[in-house]
Amino acid sequence: MAGSDLRRKAVLRHLDLVGQSSPEEEEKDALGELPSLGNHELKIHHRPVNDGYDNENEAVLGWNDFFDHQERIRVEERNFEFNTYYSLPKSLEEPSVPVFVFHHGAGSSGLTFANLSKKMEEKTDGRCAVFAFDARGHGQTRPIDSEKDVSYALSEFVKDFVTLLDRFFNSHLSGLAATRLSIILVGHSLGASICTFSHSELTTETKKRLVGICMLDIVEEAAIKALEKVHTFLLSTPNVFANYEEAIDWHVSHGLSRCRESAQVAIPALFTGTKSGKIMRITNLKDFQPYWDTWFKGLSQRFVSSPTAKLLLLAGNENLDKELIIGQMQGMYQLVVSQDSGHFIQEDEPIKTAITLIDFWKRNDSRSTVIKSNWGKRN
Amino acid sequence: MDLDLDVPMHDAIEDQPVTQDEDKNSGNENELTATTTSVDEDEEKDDFKPGSSGIADHKSAKPLELNNSNINQLDQWIDYLGKCQILSEDDVARLCKMAVDVLQFEENVKPINVPVTICGDVHGQFHDLMELFRIGGPCPDTNYLFMGDYVDRGYYSVETVSYLVAMKVRYPHRITILRGNHESRQITQVYGFYDECLRKYGSASVWKMFTDLFDYFPITALVDNKVFCLHGGLSPMIETIDQVRELNRIQEVPHEGPMCDLLWSDPDDRGGWGISPRGAGFTFGQDISEQFNHTNDLSLIARAHQLVMEGYAWSHQQNVVTIFSAPNYCYRCGNQAAIMEVDENHNRQFLQYDPSIRPGEPTVSRKTPDYFL
Repeated sequence: MAGSDLRRKAVLRHLDLVGQSSPEEEEKDALGELPSLGNHELKIHHRPVNDGYDNENEAVLGWNDFFDHQERIRVEERNFEFNTYYSLPKSLEEPSVPVFVFHHGAGSSGLTFANLSKKMEEKTDGRCAVFAFDARGHGQTRPIDSEKDVSYALSEFVKDFVTLLDRFFNSHLSGLAATRLSIILVGHSLGASICTFSHSELTTETKKRLVGICMLDIVEEAAIKALEKVHTFLLSTPNVFANYEEAIDWHVSHGLSRCRESAQVAIPALFTGTKSGKIMRITNLKDFQPYWDTWFKGLSQRFVSSPTAKLLLLAGNENLDKELIIGQMQGMYQLVVSQDSGHFIQEDEPIKTAITLIDFWKRNDSRSTVIKSNWGKRN
Repeated sequence: MDLDLDVPMHDAIEDQPVTQDEDKNSGNENELTATTTSVDEDEEKDDFKPGSSGIADHKSAKPLELNNSNINQLDQWIDYLGKCQILSEDDVARLCKMAVDVLQFEENVKPINVPVTICGDVHGQFHDLMELFRIGGPCPDTNYLFMGDYVDRGYYSVETVSYLVAMKVRYPHRITILRGNHESRQITQVYGFYDECLRKYGSASVWKMFTDLFDYFPITALVDNKVFCLHGGLSPMIETIDQVRELNRIQEVPHEGPMCDLLWSDPDDRGGWGISPRGAGFTFGQDISEQFNHTNDLSLIARAHQLVMEGYAWSHQQNVVTIFSAPNYCYRCGNQAAIMEVDENHNRQFLQYDPSIRPGEPTVSRKTPDYFL
């Protein structure tokens, strides 16, 4: 185990230094003509250059099957270049333009939301914008200076998230009247904790446009208990596969992914090629161990008391902890349980999740909801 | 009666070694480890349609008449259920058929006379329900009005709802059972009643009977034309009590509309109508409560639905009261419970109580997911 970890680290360090594909191509993709809705120019579909893996492989679906754009956002002050994906709304004429901003959980990547994002666009007739990215230590996000120490404390993830949000809005949605923007933060697992704790850090402008926070399958008490078992989980989870198809098959057959279409884009994003032709998992959850105790502490209390609309979407069983039970029984947030889903609810049940998120936005967006009343209309 | 008793109970739940991690089919985290029954769920999911239990296939044209024979039967059941034992599936079918012939004749707004003792959520906490009757006085000597949420979350939803329905059929003019938002097919599949029925009966048939019966529960009550009682709260589509009388209530709780609102809404500090954070129903402000009480010549709206730590809570300057009758909710929330007595002169008195002393909690395993990052 220790040997393979070392080998993997060596490979990853190498990748960090040389970049995982031709730097020219990557640059072209990142700096190419990016559409700006600020000028009301609608985007031109441009082909991706850097997928990080072989697109010819039939088993694998590329990000561009789900998102319109990939962009690398360099944030000097955070020492990271973030890999982001997004799609912009087709029309800006609607009174409310919802922007769903996604944050994945530990060990996952922005592409865990690929299939969900596509379904959300379909279900809103292209009315919504979606934004997802690879958090530090995940996917194709890389440190700018790899010599510097990297922290995976919750507060660092939160700062990354808040910074990226600002960058995204300023570059792509700045032309949109602020009154029309409706932001919904959607986080899965650790990402949900990041979304919830980000609320108080958001800029006043962003807060004004925020409709609510959605947490996907996270309960503080259960998460903290699960951390104790991560080691066992990791022991039974292979880090190297012969190819992407084998990795997808393994995750599907072990019930970690219950929708093949989602797995075909989400699972390959967790791996990177090696010289031997095999593929290797990018994120090592054990690297995060020193920071685990920062991830979920106080989450339930913070979620319940956040002054915005809140949705908790759980997979499998309703397993609320005390704070969440009291909050739910006092009507502080909406709880939806999807019993037929595994932990990766956005991958397993993309349509159901999309409908739930869209309903949540519509219901809580004061620009789209008018409460009808017949009071005072009696004869 | 001593809150300290909760601590070991709580610990018993927390510290129980997890024994069912691998048992993916067993479903509910509130699993009673001792009585797991394996069930073919695929077969069960097929016909969840309202009415499939058949309990309402041969409804009587007039209310059920009690005679010596069915009184004996009911007394036997009540005696049995009072010891927290479940009825056989056939007896549940008989009981539900009788109950349909009582409840179908009750109005959407059930008129009730004082004195009456008004109770909130019970949620399957059977032993606490027995404590409630000890505190409030035995039924039928004391008149009772329950405002819904008999099932889900607690471990004895089957016993609780069976007992209350048997009491309702036996003493139809002494006890009133309204419908709560948990008396619904959809909600009970998530929060425990469905799983409990599968576990205790090995099939979903008892769940089907009860959920078919829930459609007949009245949705509101009016105590001496002065206290309007319901599970949730007001609706922007219901300005007068007469408008409640016009609703067709014999159906599954809808996702929206006036019947949904009555079972889901909450009072709020903000004025006017608001979007409910729950995702169903609305919030209503003091201005709305005052107007409703004025329009309908009421002195009070009594409702349940929200956990309040003292068991009851006034809001909207005593235009609205919330009553919650499940102490230490879910065996872990640490709240008191309460009931409200309204006497012949319309004086109100709250009786608070703590969790009942019971022989021992069921062994419960709280399932920890393998992977939760």
